[in-house]
Amino acid sequence: MDQLSALLHMSPATLWMAFKVLLVFAGPLTLAALMTWVERRGSAMIQDRIGPNRAALFGKWRLLGLPQLAADGIKAFMKEDLVPPHAHKFLFWLTPILAFLPAALGFAVIPFGQSFQSGGQTYHLSLLDPGNGMGMLYPLAIGATAVYGVLVAAWSSNNKWAILGGMRASAQMVSYELGMSLAVISIFMTTGGYDPHQIIAAQNGMWNVGPQFVGFLVFFTCMFAETNRLPFDFAEGESEIVAGYFTEFGSMKFALMYLSEFIHLVTASALIVTLYFGGWRVPFVGNPGVLLSVAAFLGKTLFFCWVFVWVRWTLPRFRYDQLMKMGWKVMLPLSLANFLFHAFLMFRRG
Amino acid sequence: MAVIVKQVELSWLDRTYFWPIFKGMVITMRHFLRQITTRTKDRYTVQYPDMKREMPEGYRGLHELKRFEDGAIKCVACFMCAEACPARCITIRAEEFSDLNLTQGFEEKRPAIFKIDMLRCIYCGYCEEACPKDAIWLRKDYELAAYDRLSMQFGKWDLMNTYADVDGKARLTQESEKEIKIHHGDTESTEKR
Repeated sequence: MDQLSALLHMSPATLWMAFKVLLVFAGPLTLAALMTWVERRGSAMIQDRIGPNRAALFGKWRLLGLPQLAADGIKAFMKEDLVPPHAHKFLFWLTPILAFLPAALGFAVIPFGQSFQSGGQTYHLSLLDPGNGMGMLYPLAIGATAVYGVLVAAWSSNNKWAILGGMRASAQMVSYELGMSLAVISIFMTTGGYDPHQIIAAQNGMWNVGPQFVGFLVFFTCMFAETNRLPFDFAEGESEIVAGYFTEFGSMKFALMYLSEFIHLVTASALIVTLYFGGWRVPFVGNPGVLLSVAAFLGKTLFFCWVFVWVRWTLPRFRYDQLMKMGWKVMLPLSLANFLFHAFLMFRRG
Repeated sequence: MAVIVKQVELSWLDRTYFWPIFKGMVITMRHFLRQITTRTKDRYTVQYPDMKREMPEGYRGLHELKRFEDGAIKCVACFMCAEACPARCITIRAEEFSDLNLTQGFEEKRPAIFKIDMLRCIYCGYCEEACPKDAIWLRKDYELAAYDRLSMQFGKWDLMNTYADVDGKARLTQESEKEIKIHHGDTESTEKR
């Protein structure tokens, strides 16, 4: 590391930071691209179909249909980039970025491996080092700004379907944020810190999912609403509002927004893993080391990504009033009860 | 007519949502695992250009004009199929052949032109039913496509060769008919016998 940084005329800290930025940016992006493949092939397998398997590299190697990703990307780039005549041009161009950034930024505080020491210096495997003062509040806050992506997309395209879809999606995201935040607060309370490193350190021996099972269920459900995925995908509805706030978007703009949904999904799984499933911790291994811990984190995250897909192809959609009822009358009281219950337990223990 | 909707009383466990959801997820996972461990050829999906379905008995696909073992056409140009055809897609022109009509005093007919307009044909199989000589069969080939309309006009030789490769028979041409004609019209040898 030192030699390489000297070679590049950088301080080791800067080099490490650049490396981490690359990793944290490219990692979820790659995972999200892979998730589009997993979603299509996985849903096919669940429904006794086969799925897209014909795209082949040089017309020869099908590789389980993975070249479909490249084919889709090339297609999205080559398509005509159309801006509808009555759309707000500037906002319309800004939208994919607004949708993409919160999804990609959310990953910044999540530790994806155990911190290690080298040359008298501690290296943390998360983009923001512990003690940055934001902790887990950061992904929650960034996640909340994802609503702007949806709303701006809806308003800028000047289309009734888009506006209806955007309003529905944003109302859903805002109302489920409450239950989610309360579930996270009870985690902060029991672990005694809101930094992800602290939260993971507190999960030594017992993952949070054990004592906080109700909180986990609430958080997990709210994550489906936050990522706008089935059974809560009210942003779109083929029969009522076409593709919702996506309606007017085509070519790479659409691809970017679609991809950002999947990055959201990856980030959501990483959040679940960090908060409830011990982050990079490996069961029965106290000190897993860098490689094993990163592998454990990746494995858990991938599992939850798969659960998102799995649930999507199992459950039918809710109705919109059912969704709102569930958000306000079930999830919020449930997470509030969970919060009060743990507060009471802590009070009794002293 | 009013329909009485049956109200189902959900149990306590079902009203929590989570247990039914869990059961549903087990079902989808079972499907996933079964499908992913099934070999491609055992799956429901027939991956068309690579794999082809065996058509059932009695399938009415592309026609074949049957031939005798020596390659002579079975059709006697009786026009029964053309009459039976509801789509009017069969065009026949008959001709006499062999010298038997000269020497023995009877005619042998065969189609000089036997044309089926595949764009008009509705594959009803009436021609097959009408044929007194079993000379036209509708068989199992369903891959009928062309780049222009003209190539969908199947003539006599096209129709006699439609299943030649499948059955391992020789492809017939106009030249092969001439040979057969010589053979059939070989009156001297018949007389000697």
